[in-house]
Amino acid sequence: MADQKKNIQNSNKGALKRKKTLVAWSFILPNLIGFFVFTFVPIVFSLFLSLCEWSAGNQGVKFVGLENFRYMFTQDRSFRIALKNTLYYTVVTVPLTLFIALGLAMLMNKPIKGKTFFRSVLFFPYVASLVAVAVVWMALFNPERGPVNGMLMSLGVENPPRWAASQVWAMPTIIGLTVWKGMGYYMVVYLAGLQSVPSELYEAAEIDGANGWAKFRNVTWPCLTPTTFFVLMMLVVATFKSYDIMYITTQGGPGEATKVLAYHIFNSAFVSMKFGYASAVAMVLFVIIILLTLFQFRMEKKFTNY
Amino acid sequence: MRKKILSAVLASALAVSVLAGCASTGAAPAAAPADGASTEEAAAPAADEQVTIRVALWDYSNTEYYKAMFDAFSQAHPNIAYEVVEFPADEYPTTIKTQLAGNQNFDVVFLKDLPTMSALIAGGHLMELDQFMDGDPDFDKANYSGLIEQLGQGGKSYGVPFRKDNNMIFYNKDMFDAAGVPYPEDGMTMQDYYDLAEKMTSGSGNDKVYGAHMHTWASNVSIYARRTEEFNQLDTSTYESLIPYYETMLAMQDAGYIQDYGALKSGNIHYSGVMYNHQAAMLQMGTWFINMLVENADFHWGVCALPNNAGVGNEKAVGGITPVTIGAYAEHPEAAWEFIKYVCGEEGAKVLAATGILPGYGSDAINEIFDKIPETNEFAPEGLSKYINIDNYVVEFPMSEKAGDIDTILGEEHSAIMTGTETPEEGVKNMIDRVNALQ
Repeated sequence: MADQKKNIQNSNKGALKRKKTLVAWSFILPNLIGFFVFTFVPIVFSLFLSLCEWSAGNQGVKFVGLENFRYMFTQDRSFRIALKNTLYYTVVTVPLTLFIALGLAMLMNKPIKGKTFFRSVLFFPYVASLVAVAVVWMALFNPERGPVNGMLMSLGVENPPRWAASQVWAMPTIIGLTVWKGMGYYMVVYLAGLQSVPSELYEAAEIDGANGWAKFRNVTWPCLTPTTFFVLMMLVVATFKSYDIMYITTQGGPGEATKVLAYHIFNSAFVSMKFGYASAVAMVLFVIIILLTLFQFRMEKKFTNY
Repeated sequence: MRKKILSAVLASALAVSVLAGCASTGAAPAAAPADGASTEEAAAPAADEQVTIRVALWDYSNTEYYKAMFDAFSQAHPNIAYEVVEFPADEYPTTIKTQLAGNQNFDVVFLKDLPTMSALIAGGHLMELDQFMDGDPDFDKANYSGLIEQLGQGGKSYGVPFRKDNNMIFYNKDMFDAAGVPYPEDGMTMQDYYDLAEKMTSGSGNDKVYGAHMHTWASNVSIYARRTEEFNQLDTSTYESLIPYYETMLAMQDAGYIQDYGALKSGNIHYSGVMYNHQAAMLQMGTWFINMLVENADFHWGVCALPNNAGVGNEKAVGGITPVTIGAYAEHPEAAWEFIKYVCGEEGAKVLAATGILPGYGSDAINEIFDKIPETNEFAPEGLSKYINIDNYVVEFPMSEKAGDIDTILGEEHSAIMTGTETPEEGVKNMIDRVNALQ
């Protein structure tokens, strides 16, 4: 009798557990299927393709081993240029966006008049279509007729930079556009972070006689480290894989001055029809991003104060 | 436990996807000819069987003549209906390559340029057309001024030219008359062109009028040397012939006789507005600009052959071709051929010519249509047929599997030269090195 009761209880428990599992799966499944079909399978296929030669033709996939990687590292001049440009773009864009976004967030966190208006204005470039924003930016920085150079010339600069039409200034012009476009979003992220800084810490600091900088250095900045790590990670990944901005503004030019890795991948795949080689470059980009992300996770554990 | 199941699922998925990748590409070549054969059998016996062909092209909805032409075809062939699949114009080459790589069953495929066509042929995505051309008494290659052969690869034909273009100098007659400068003429040297541009440049600031206009494509320089056949994209030993042409154009840019390349590029400025707004006296452009001028110009205009340093007059034409092809996965290739014969034949050509677009098909009737444009348009010049009826036609970009890569390299170096970051010598040397390094 007692055994029977125990059995029933057990089977009830099992059924309940199964039911819970099923419910959980049914919640995850729609997303998981999408991820599986549209992200995971293509990634695996591209890993396989990176060892092959394939022109999307009917000749089939030819296995070539590490030949794509050998060509990439020893012969492909454009790959080296693109890698260098990508690093340049990332190394300048990420800290610049981060600090400007943080500065703006702190400014917008103060009780100033028309705060909401300014917040909207700063957020606007992020909401606006990239194409529209890029066209406006390029018009502002037009080397001959642009208002920016007009202003510089009226200020007495005789030979203002030729911006996107110069190999030296093309990348800074695009970095400027990226920062302007993205800073609003990260400002909002930082604003949210700032709300979570306990005000009693500031009060305590004030009682201790801390000035503005000391308060920032010892209260704001440490409390914001989780936010900063989130922003840093998002920015690094976004800048490493960005190519749309270059595609719209300079098409990688002048020469190859703004050709980044993702752009080189696009060109190799859809212009040159070398899908195997493009996948190989994509794998290199993938490994770089993974390593950086892992490194950042490690650093996060070390430096955040939670 | 759950982790184990998940990893097993992922591993098996990996295996499946790898196998699927191999299987699908391995099976494709066998499937394509079989498809073709079966539809031929189906289409041949019953000519009145109702079929719908799928036509891939761009700019269908904003170009008037397509619909008129296609409807006329359907009326002449009541058993063949058509379904248009339209893709955006700017992305058309990449889109169509990707679509066909996915074995889309387009019957008729319009192509924008020859590098794309070369890539599609190399991938086996286009149907060979010799079987249709040779056995068809209604089709005569002679009507296409040797272009069918130039559209071939490996001795086989793959396309019929729907449109072709010649590149010329268009000029604003009213501006030349006002300045008392004689019109540009066939057989000009580059120095003559430079001198004319100098004479026609005037004003400053917002009122500045440029003597000439050069658009931002790499072909806007290479086309001069290509017409004289000094330059061939597939032969790097000819690349140095570009240097003097670059030098002339850079000299014109430095002197302010043409607008600055960087400013045009940053401003995304279209060449048409520059002419419509009387901001430039001369423009190097393809014959499609005839159609644009007929519709938009409010000034008298004229044309002449491209200047060059090789003493060539108007006996050679150079330009791009818009070919029409049949996809390798077409379900109704016979019907597609009928369609191509119609739109690329006399009937289609007349519709095109009436709008001022140069058809691939040439005949006296077509020449006449162009010569009659001034009857309905007071600004157009007499005798346009002289510039469209040229037997010696050089394709702007010869067919090759590497065409896409070469095109990219020439474009990148072009932007470096025109922005002054490389001298013409350095830029051309880079072109040579990079094209030679292509695998």
